[in-house]
Amino acid sequence: MTHPSAPAADAPPPADLLATVVSLCRALRERGVAATPAESIDAARALGRVDLGDQEEVRLALRAVLVNRREDFDAFDEAFRETWRASGGLPSPIPLPGRRRDLMPNATPGGRKPPPVSLQNWMKPSDADGGEPLNVRAASDRESLGFRDFAQFGADDDEAVRALARRIARRLALRRSRRWKASRRGERIDLRRTVRASLRTGGEAVRLEQKTRARRRTSLVALCDVSGSMELYSRVLLQFLHALQNTFARVESFAFATRLSRLTPLLRGVRYRESLRDVGREVQDFAGGTRIGASLQAFLDRHAGLVDRRTIVLIMSDGWDVGDPEVLAEAMRVLHQRAGRVIWLNPLMGASDYTPGTRGMQAALPYIDILAPGHNLNALERLVRHLTL
Amino acid sequence: MNEYIRRIQEVMEREAYITDRQIATSVFLASALGKPLLVEGHPGVGKTEIAKVLAQTLGADLIRLQCYEGLDANTALYEWNYPRQLLHIKLGEHAPGTIAEKEATLFSVEYLLKRPLLAAITHHGTPPVLLIDEVDRSDEEFEAFLLEILSDFQVTIPELGTIRAESRPVVVLTSNRTRELSEALRRRCLYLWIDYPSFEKELRIVRTKVPGLGEQLAREITGVLQSLRKMRLAKHPGVAESLDWAAALVALHADHLDEAVVRDTMGCFLKDDADFQVLERELEAGRLQALASFAG
Repeated sequence: MTHPSAPAADAPPPADLLATVVSLCRALRERGVAATPAESIDAARALGRVDLGDQEEVRLALRAVLVNRREDFDAFDEAFRETWRASGGLPSPIPLPGRRRDLMPNATPGGRKPPPVSLQNWMKPSDADGGEPLNVRAASDRESLGFRDFAQFGADDDEAVRALARRIARRLALRRSRRWKASRRGERIDLRRTVRASLRTGGEAVRLEQKTRARRRTSLVALCDVSGSMELYSRVLLQFLHALQNTFARVESFAFATRLSRLTPLLRGVRYRESLRDVGREVQDFAGGTRIGASLQAFLDRHAGLVDRRTIVLIMSDGWDVGDPEVLAEAMRVLHQRAGRVIWLNPLMGASDYTPGTRGMQAALPYIDILAPGHNLNALERLVRHLTL
Repeated sequence: MNEYIRRIQEVMEREAYITDRQIATSVFLASALGKPLLVEGHPGVGKTEIAKVLAQTLGADLIRLQCYEGLDANTALYEWNYPRQLLHIKLGEHAPGTIAEKEATLFSVEYLLKRPLLAAITHHGTPPVLLIDEVDRSDEEFEAFLLEILSDFQVTIPELGTIRAESRPVVVLTSNRTRELSEALRRRCLYLWIDYPSFEKELRIVRTKVPGLGEQLAREITGVLQSLRKMRLAKHPGVAESLDWAAALVALHADHLDEAVVRDTMGCFLKDDADFQVLERELEAGRLQALASFAG
């Protein structure tokens, strides 16, 4: 069953080329790109179909087969260059797009400023999220920067944060109402409507009316405080947002300290550590002071369209605000009016003697539907039951 | 370069799809190896177009399954035609024959409504191109089901038995990455990432697709769009947006860009109020020429 536009048969690639494919796969695995035996076989088949004298074509073909997400393109190009040179599989490697060194946190000579210290801490190799292997090659470079120890959260907790975010996202996505609604292709036959419709056809049920459980289209807007006072928490909260963003389509994420940044495009589809890098570059006021009121106002000015009665607004902040409490109160009032629910997660509430005493908290309090602690996984877990409208 | 890849590239260009080696190679391998092609990229870079042009190129039918949240196996695969079945029962009420016989006719292919996936599997003749569009919008459960279909191209219908594809359809999946697809689905597919086009490529696309567009205007439009993609925006314009804008400007008989015409038409390529304000600030600062003269 050959395709009309395809050559008649697979010409088996030379044996040394197969060996090269095998070592390429090994080089990929070393870089954390899992290339399975099945993919090696496909790679060999692909080589049987392309012009082996054309290195660019070989590279594109192997990449299409062996890599399955854009984030791994750089790693592939590097592995490809190395393997082909070592094996001499093909003469004179053509210049490939170089590794984008400027994206690495320690590439200061290039001119780009390194991410803020708190971000650098997060990018420590121990942060590798489950999907990424630990022997990522840049690890030693990063360690040499002399990172601070981040004792409270080890790699184990990272996995737990992601698992929790996925659970929450699934609840949001799959949430069904108890009510039935009419539907063209339903789950059950709607006897009542069928009988009613059959009256029109002389009591004969020509058309079966159906019904299905209504879906609740809840969306989530998360605003995360990344100012200095939140530093210990915003790392985990951002990771939580990242996982949420990638399992549930209707999430919009923002970060703020003195000004507002939209994180949605940065967190989407990219691995956690890479998105942290992007976030560090985009969010210039990372770990600075806080102006919650002005940031929320900026959110309302620019993105009010994201919030309606089916939206849950999740604010994650300790409420330490250096701005005008009036501005905060006004922004909260409008937000509360527009949104289906306003939830404020305050990590400080983890302390048993906490009272929402800061001026900012006081100003915001009347417009908060649910004030909850967000200092540990249990607190986030308990959040789940509030996430339905 | 492989003869077939060059030919694919040629034919695609003839169909007015400006392509490059990466796209042509992936498309070729998808049909040569019989593997599904997963196409990812920003909205509006021509992911869906690939399947359409591929179908034209191969002279095959295009069967499209648009994914959405809540899409289930029934909607995607098959349903029984209840009204026809009921009608059949009614008409055959007094006809001779056992109940078993009647039942057998009732659940035959005649009463089956084929939805896209079954249509692709039972298609005769040239293998069709099956486009599974925006697969990231479907639920995870559906993704698992899809994986099953894509691995053996056979379906079991309890009343009919197993239906196997005569020839495997060429499958193209697209994703906007609103959520991460499962590793299993990714492994099953060849992968193609389509980035925003370079200045030259976009200029060619705009020229090819929008007749009557002056040279200067084409360059300016492309320049502005390329500049905008480098800026911080809530939603970056895709190629679809450049084409919309170019067509609008042609309709307005514009031959170059000025502040007024950009203000009037920026709804063609910006879709977010916040982005309007960003561009407005650029215009007020007199930076239109700088934006328009961007060339890669």
